[in-house]
Amino acid sequence: MLSDSGKWGGHSPVGNTTATNQTHLRRITLDVEVSDVPIAPEDGSEPEPSPWPSFDPGLFYDELVGPNGAPRPAAEALWRHFTELGPEALAERQEAADREMRAIGVTFTVYEGSTGVDRPWPFDIIPRVMPSDEWQLIESGLVQRLNALNLFIDDVYHEQRCVSSGIVPSELVSGSPNFRRECVGIDPPGGIWAHICGSDLIRDEDGIVYVLEDNLRVPSGVSYLLENRMVAKHVFPEMFRHYSIEPVDPYIGRLANMLASVSPSTGDPTMVVLTPGIYNSAYFEHAFLAQQLGIELVEGSDLVVLDDDCVYARTIDGLQQVDVIYRRIDDLYLDPEVFVPESLLGVPGLMRAWRSGRVALVNAPGAGIADDKKVYSYVPDIIRFFLDEEPILATVPTLRCSDEDSRHYVLSNLERLVVKPANESGGYGVLVGTQASTEELAAAAKQIETEPNKWVAQPVISLSTAPTLCDGEIAPRHVDLRPFILLGPEGAYVTRGGLTRVARNAGSLVVNSSQGGGSKDTWVVDTRGQTT
Amino acid sequence: MTQPQIDRDIQDQGESDAVGLPDPASIDHDHLGDDSPKEPKGPTMLLARMAEAVYWAGRYLERAECTARIVQAHTDTHVDMPVGQDVGWAPLLSIVGVDSEFAERYHQATEADEVDAAEEDVIEFLLHGTENPSSILGAVAAARENLRTARPVVPREAWEACNHLYLMCSDHLDEAKSRKGRVQWLRRVIAGCQQINGIMLGTMSRDEAMSFLLMGENLERADLTTRVLDVRSENLHSQRGDDPYEVVHWMSVLRSLAAYQPYRRAIPARPQGGSTLRFLLQDDRFPRAVSACLSETRSHLKGLARSENALDACADASMVVASAAVPHLTLGGLSEFLDEVQVALADIHDRIHETYFRPSFVGWQPDSVAS
Repeated sequence: MLSDSGKWGGHSPVGNTTATNQTHLRRITLDVEVSDVPIAPEDGSEPEPSPWPSFDPGLFYDELVGPNGAPRPAAEALWRHFTELGPEALAERQEAADREMRAIGVTFTVYEGSTGVDRPWPFDIIPRVMPSDEWQLIESGLVQRLNALNLFIDDVYHEQRCVSSGIVPSELVSGSPNFRRECVGIDPPGGIWAHICGSDLIRDEDGIVYVLEDNLRVPSGVSYLLENRMVAKHVFPEMFRHYSIEPVDPYIGRLANMLASVSPSTGDPTMVVLTPGIYNSAYFEHAFLAQQLGIELVEGSDLVVLDDDCVYARTIDGLQQVDVIYRRIDDLYLDPEVFVPESLLGVPGLMRAWRSGRVALVNAPGAGIADDKKVYSYVPDIIRFFLDEEPILATVPTLRCSDEDSRHYVLSNLERLVVKPANESGGYGVLVGTQASTEELAAAAKQIETEPNKWVAQPVISLSTAPTLCDGEIAPRHVDLRPFILLGPEGAYVTRGGLTRVARNAGSLVVNSSQGGGSKDTWVVDTRGQTT
Repeated sequence: MTQPQIDRDIQDQGESDAVGLPDPASIDHDHLGDDSPKEPKGPTMLLARMAEAVYWAGRYLERAECTARIVQAHTDTHVDMPVGQDVGWAPLLSIVGVDSEFAERYHQATEADEVDAAEEDVIEFLLHGTENPSSILGAVAAARENLRTARPVVPREAWEACNHLYLMCSDHLDEAKSRKGRVQWLRRVIAGCQQINGIMLGTMSRDEAMSFLLMGENLERADLTTRVLDVRSENLHSQRGDDPYEVVHWMSVLRSLAAYQPYRRAIPARPQGGSTLRFLLQDDRFPRAVSACLSETRSHLKGLARSENALDACADASMVVASAAVPHLTLGGLSEFLDEVQVALADIHDRIHETYFRPSFVGWQPDSVAS
C-alpha cells in the first residue's frame, strides 16, 4: 500500500529510492506494462473466451490475469488450455493430483497440541506462470543479495569493516542473539557461510517484486517444489508440450556439487544430511533430499566426534569419517558441548570438528546473523558497501523501533503496519495491523515501548493473487514465492521458479502451510519460443 | 593425518584386540587418493540405524503377508468343514502368538485356557486390533514407518507402494468385516506386499541394505512357517487316527504357506503329515521352507563383513533342521523340535542385532543410541 517514499511521513525508506534502483524495478515490471494493454486479436475477431468468466482479482495484481481480464502474455497458452478443458475436467485433474500426493506420501507435520499429525501436502493444480526474462532479473538480484550477505557474515566474524565504516551499528552485530562468538575468526571454504538460501519474494499491486525475507539458517520447502513439479507433469503432460517450461530438477545435481565442493578431504567426500529426526515437521524433506542425493540421512546419535576432531558415522562396518554435513538442525542444538547442553539432537564436539576444518557444515553456524528482520533493513546498504552495486531487487521499507522518530511513527500508525520481532526468521510473532483487534494493537504498542530494540515495522504489502481452485470455484488467492539459491566456491545457482505458497482463505495474507496454506507449481516459461 | 590419533585411541582403550574393530585405514579417506591398487570402499556407507530399519521393514512386510495368507487359508478351510467339525478360530491366535493379548481384550473375566473365540472378534483382532502388536494393519504400518526411516536407502517406488498399501488397508477396513470383503482385503495385502518385494528385487542394487531387508524377510518367514506347523500339527495330533478331514487340514497348512502347488509338483501324493513336514522344513527349492530361508540368510551374511558369529548361528539352525528325523516327529516331539528351531532362529537374529545394529566400536557408546 505504501510503495514509495512520499507516503512515509518524512522518513526515508531504504532500498528503493535511488534513481538506479527505480530503473531496475521498472525493468522487472516490464511484463506488467505490456499486459496492461488490452489484447486485441489481430484478425478483428471476438476476444478469446475466458476459462473463468467471473474471476476478479479486484485491486490486486494477479499473476495470470491482467487488469482487463485478459491473460498475461506468459499465461496465454495456459488460458487457452483451461478454456478447452472446462471446469469438470479441471476438477478431475485436481482429484488426480490429490490422490498422487497422498500415494507418494508427500506430507508435512502439523502439531495439534503435543501430537504431530501428518497431513497430505496441499497442492493447487493451476500453476503460477512467470516469463523467463523477468525471472532472469530476479535470479541476478537473488545471487547479488546472497553474495553480499555472505561477505557481510564473513566480515562480521572477522574485521567488522561494516561496523567501523558506519554501514551498520555495532549493536546490530554484537547485540544480536544470532551472533555466535564461537564463529569469530573461522574461515569456511571460500569464505561462504550461507550456502543454501530460501528467499521469500512477494509482488505488490503495482507488480513490483520485493524480497520479504532471506532464510539463511535451515530453509525448507525445496522438496515440495520438486514434488509439485513431478505431479504437475503427470496432471498436465500436454501442457509441457505447449510451453517451454524451465526444469527444476537440476537443483539436486547442483546441490550435490556444491556440497562436494566444500569438502575438506581430497577424495570422494562422504556426505550426510543431519536431521533432528522423524518427528521434525520437515522430516519428509530431509529424507527426500538424502534419497535424491544418494547420501545417508543421519540423526545426531549416528555421529560421533573423536579426539582427532574428525566426525564419524556409526555404520554397519564401524566408524566411517564424514566430510560434509548438510545440517537441518538449528545452530543452538548442533553441539551440546557449546550450545544448549540438554540438546539430544546434536553431536557433542561438532563445533570443535568444524572449527578445526575437519568437517564442513552447510549452512555454517552463525549464518543466521544475516537473516533477521533488523539486518534486513540494512541489506541495500550492505550490497552497496560490499559489492559497490545498486540492489537489483526491492526491499520492503522497514522501520526500526529503536530509532525514536520511527518508533513514534510506528506507534501512531500501528493499524496500518506489519510489526515483526527483529531477531526472528520466518513468521513467528508477526502482527498484521490491518487485521488485528484493538487489544492486540494495544499489546503490541506496549511491547514496542518496553523493548523497542526487539521490533521493526513495515507497510502492509498487498500480495499478488493467482487463480486457485477453491471448493470447485476458481477464485483469487494471495501468493508468495520461495526460490532457492545455492552458493559455493564454484559459483551460484538459483532454482528456475520456486515454491509458490497460497493463502487458503479469501483475503488472507497467511501462506504458511502450518496455517492451512496451499502451494502451486511455478512455471518459468520462455515466451519467445512459445508454440501454439 | 588422522590415522596415528585413531591408533592411539584404540590402544588407550585397550581394545586393540577386540573382535570386530575397524581397520583404521579403511575409514581414512586420504587412502582413497593415493595410487594404492586396493579396491576403495568409496564414500557410500550404511548407517547401523538404517540397516536396522531396513531389516525390520523386511520382517514386518513378511509378517503382514504371511498373516494374511494364514487368515485366508483358515477362512477357506473353515467354510469347507461341516458344522461341528471345524477347529474354530482360536488356532489363528496361537499361530500369531497373541492368545493372551486377545484374551485380555475380549474375555477379561474368563481364565480358561480354551478361549472361546468368535470369528468376528478374532478376525478384527488379527486384521487391525490395536492391542495386537502383530495385526496385519499394524505390521504394514510398522513396515511403512521403517521404510520411511530407510527412505534414503530403498527405492522411492518401494516406499510409495508401502505407503499406498497402508492407506488402502486403513481406508477399506470396514469392507473386511464380511467374509466376502475380507477375501478381497487380504488379497490386496498379499498383492501389495508382493509388489513392494518385486520393486525391491527389480530395481534395488544388491547392496548391504538389500541384504538386511532379505535377511529380515527370511528370518520372519522361517519363524512363521514353524509357528504354523507347531499350532496346526498340534490340532491334528489331538484328533489323529480316524479323522476323515486330515487331508483337508494338511492342505490348509500348505495353503497357509503358499506351498500347496509347489508341494503337489514336488510330491504328487496325497498330502499327509510326514511329507508335508519334510517339504516345509527341508525342501531347499521351496523359498518358504525353513532350510531355504536359512540358506538365503546365510548367503547374505557371507557378503557382509564380520559376519562370523551370525554365520555360526545360521549353521547351527541349519543343522537342527537338516537333522530332523521327520517320520518320528509326526508321532510325537514335533512341538519340542519346532521350539528348538525357533530358539535357533532367535539366536541368528540376536547375533545380527549385536554385530550390526549395536556393535561396540571405538567411540561407540551403545547407551547413547536411541532405540
